[in-house]
Amino acid sequence: MTSHPLPTMTTDPSRPAGPATGVAASARGLARTYGRADRAEPVVHALRGVDLDLPAGRLTAVMGPSGSGKSTLMHCLAGLDTPTGGSVTVAGRELAGLDDTALTLFRREHLGFVFQAFNLLPMLTAEQNILLPLELSGRRAVAAARGHVDAVVDVLGIRDRLGHRPSELSGGQQQRVAIARALAAQPAIVFADEPTGNLDSTASAEVLGFLRRSVRELGQTVVMVTHEVEAAAYADDVVVLADGSIRAHLVDPSRDQLVETLAGRR
Amino acid sequence: MRTVLLASLRTHTRRYVSAALAVVISVAFVVVTAALSSATRDGLTAGVGAPFADADVVLEVYDPEQVSRLVEQAPAGTAASVLGWTQEPVRHGDDPFGRDTEIAQVVTGDPLRWQELTEGTYPSGAGQALVEASTARRHDLAVGDTLDLGAGDAARQVVVTGIADAPSPLVAADVYVTWPDLAPFADRLYVESVAWVGDAATATRLAPDAEVHDRDAYVADLQQEVNSGVDVITMMLLLFATIAGVVAVIVIANTFAILFAQRRHDLALLRCVGATRRQLLRSIRAEALVLGIVASATGIVVGWLGGRGLVAVISARWPESRLGEATVAPAWMVGALAVGLVVTLLASWLPTRSATRADPLSALRPDAGVDARSTAGRLRLALGALLLVGGLGLLAVAVLGQVLPAMLAGGVATFAAVLVLGPWLVPGLLSVVGRVAAAIGGAPARLAAGNAGRHPKRTATTAASLLVGVTLTTAVLTGMASSRGALATEMDEQHPVDATATATTPIGDDAVALVRDSDQVERVSALRGTTVTVPELGEVTVVAVDDTSTLRDVTRLPTDDQVLLPLGLAGELRTRLVPADGAADRAVDLEVVGTEAFGDVALVTPRTLARLTDAPETRALWVRAADGADPELLEADLQAATQSAGGTVDNGLANRAAVDQQLDVVTAAVVGLLGIAVVIALVGIANTLGLSVLERGREHALLRAIGLTRRQLRATLAMESVLLSVVATVLGTAIGVAFAWVGVETMVKTAVDDVPLVLPLGQLGAVVAVSAVAGLLACLLPARRAARVSPAAGLATP
Repeated sequence: MTSHPLPTMTTDPSRPAGPATGVAASARGLARTYGRADRAEPVVHALRGVDLDLPAGRLTAVMGPSGSGKSTLMHCLAGLDTPTGGSVTVAGRELAGLDDTALTLFRREHLGFVFQAFNLLPMLTAEQNILLPLELSGRRAVAAARGHVDAVVDVLGIRDRLGHRPSELSGGQQQRVAIARALAAQPAIVFADEPTGNLDSTASAEVLGFLRRSVRELGQTVVMVTHEVEAAAYADDVVVLADGSIRAHLVDPSRDQLVETLAGRR
Repeated sequence: MRTVLLASLRTHTRRYVSAALAVVISVAFVVVTAALSSATRDGLTAGVGAPFADADVVLEVYDPEQVSRLVEQAPAGTAASVLGWTQEPVRHGDDPFGRDTEIAQVVTGDPLRWQELTEGTYPSGAGQALVEASTARRHDLAVGDTLDLGAGDAARQVVVTGIADAPSPLVAADVYVTWPDLAPFADRLYVESVAWVGDAATATRLAPDAEVHDRDAYVADLQQEVNSGVDVITMMLLLFATIAGVVAVIVIANTFAILFAQRRHDLALLRCVGATRRQLLRSIRAEALVLGIVASATGIVVGWLGGRGLVAVISARWPESRLGEATVAPAWMVGALAVGLVVTLLASWLPTRSATRADPLSALRPDAGVDARSTAGRLRLALGALLLVGGLGLLAVAVLGQVLPAMLAGGVATFAAVLVLGPWLVPGLLSVVGRVAAAIGGAPARLAAGNAGRHPKRTATTAASLLVGVTLTTAVLTGMASSRGALATEMDEQHPVDATATATTPIGDDAVALVRDSDQVERVSALRGTTVTVPELGEVTVVAVDDTSTLRDVTRLPTDDQVLLPLGLAGELRTRLVPADGAADRAVDLEVVGTEAFGDVALVTPRTLARLTDAPETRALWVRAADGADPELLEADLQAATQSAGGTVDNGLANRAAVDQQLDVVTAAVVGLLGIAVVIALVGIANTLGLSVLERGREHALLRAIGLTRRQLRATLAMESVLLSVVATVLGTAIGVAFAWVGVETMVKTAVDDVPLVLPLGQLGAVVAVSAVAGLLACLLPARRAARVSPAAGLATP
């Protein structure tokens, strides 16, 4: 299946940032605090003023131990969580000040998601899951993206699985369906949160391979949160977080460099 | 295990709220019933003795002459009070009272006067009247107003001197007059009894037929009668309480099943760390017991307050209902508590068993999500099929042989089959309806349909709780509509004319024109006739039917050798009609047919009339009432127009209206009481949805992340709830209509030959609409809660 060429990205003039150029997302002084001291609650600083530019057209891995703030960073960048300080700009759009509905519509149109588990809705077939974000935007979106979706489905090799429900798919197949859904709307950025956390090494390699190909061949921007060095090795850039701050932002690191940085942090 | 039990109760309190609510409603229903029946009993029995308080003995005597003698010839030192009434036309100016207006006696002065004056003074003699407080309110009467009583020779006017309350509904009437004003109606007086002051010997001398009763024994008998009447009503209410209880069992069983499914992991973990299955079982049964006790106790308090409140409201709004004090006997309290406990424990029995069967290892396995499709076993399918075949067979027997027990057993079995087969039936229907909804509503509708069909057992049970109430409601509505249709045909035969006025002298053309111009009248036909003498009966007005345009039914008209006479006059099989002017050679011998259909008149064919006289006069008016005519106004118009000719009015329309009204009241009462079962079912829907929302937290977060707006999420949940309630309602309506058909075929067919099934489409549509709206209401809280969670928070929850 890997012999399929990836489809050429159709350029959409309405897209705020063109693919594969410049900065896809940036954060300035990004802070997220949980709990409020004035209510005598314990205060947790998940992010302490993060400055970050994520280059477009690259696969960036966000690494760090549990509690380092990597999931919070991803949630804030993706407009899933509201920062308590600083600003986030994604695909040329400042997220602060957008209300819940505007944020939702922004996510629907410009972002794709792949999670570790519970990625798919159990009562929908694989195909219905893939088309769901498009359907939420309306029927026209489905029709417009049809050709692109077909190509993605072929590349991922899940055409014969489209009529199945998630419970009838293997973990690797489920993640491939999730990737297809994330790519379906041709988003500016795909966020992947531990996409291989539940997979064996073969399936992991496959999923990571697909993510990297979508960057190399489509110019897609992918941000992947992971704690596995193996997974991070597929990335172009690696951001290392610790205690809510950026410890390092490595560009095209070698494996040794990566291991060293992670070890040095400990 | 106690630590676990307490911690679990603390953690899951909120999830138990709806189940508790179902128990509270059921228990409160029982307690309110107890409060109402005690208040009714108290109020009724307290006043029953009042009319006899001063009496020495009570006489049962029915002969009007003897009753009159008792009142009119009572020697000094004795007195009689007649407890009975007559229904006469009563009018206040232009305002005619209903036909069932009752007139009774008020004694002048003590002893034996039992009415309780609330305003004005008691009547001191003829021409004065006392009016019952509720009647006065209804017709806006005040002291000093004048009333016209009766018609014809007996007609008289009285002035209202006071407003009064009756201590007991057994003796209450609308208007009380002194004996001189009541005496002209004595022949038509329905006498319950006569209270007598004096010795029994004097009484039996005046009224030889009187049955003499000891006063205290008589009052005790009356109270006994009242009590058994209240008992019957109490039993009826408890029947509805039972239905509500059954629905509560379904709702609670479902709640437990869902809760335990959600806690499968916790329970298995407990097994892992060493809890035996028995310990686990005891722990979660104890949870159910605590829920049952707390909810039942709350239900008793709510019911007690509700019952007292209801009695207070009824007493304030309708003082004439004379409710006494609402007390709930300890036995009732204990009974209600038992109901609550039985309902809860029964409902928790099966779910707790299957919950504790969880094997310890399943705690260690990763959760496959909430996708675990519960498939119902083959046993269930076989049982359902068996019940269905048996039930349908019994229903067929019921319809063919008109066997009532077979109908009841068949109905229960068939309904049980529907409940057992629910896990196949309901999701099947849901997917059909869901597909239609998805075609219209897009992605949210598709999601809703998918969600609703995810747990076939859970969905089926939720639908079942609503199904009970809806099936019974639609069965009652359809059954009533069909009976009403059958009754209408029957009424057409019994009352082919809406109203007739029959006169002893000719009715003038101006009177005919007056009636024709009345708003209440659609058509009037003037019937020609004459006066004849009939042996034994004396002078009788005879008319011929030459115009049938006002009739609703023509099956009961006379033939050439028949005369139709009112039942009271139709004593002989054949009779001879002789013209009143004495022309014996024109006399006619005819077969007598008794009927109440055409008023106070003898009815013959035009040919027979021609043999009796050459100069017929207009003697009767037959009226077809306009649509929506008021029977009282119609009668008043007819009365006024024919008064001068000595007209007597017979009002078939009023009889019809009275029957219609009774059917309406019964239907409304039954539907209202079933409504409580429906309310419990809706609590169940809200509950299922609420618990589902809790377990779908991750999923909703995912949907929100990939672009479902808050509004779309709320719409999805609303649609799921509405889909479920509408599917349950449509299924319930179908079954209810089928049951109604069986019921009509089995019960009504024995009385009336041809009963078409009448579908009250408006009412059935209203049932579906109400349940759709209720489904929306049921989803309000769960949907709000689900939409409030931010996507990031939802993703973080395990």
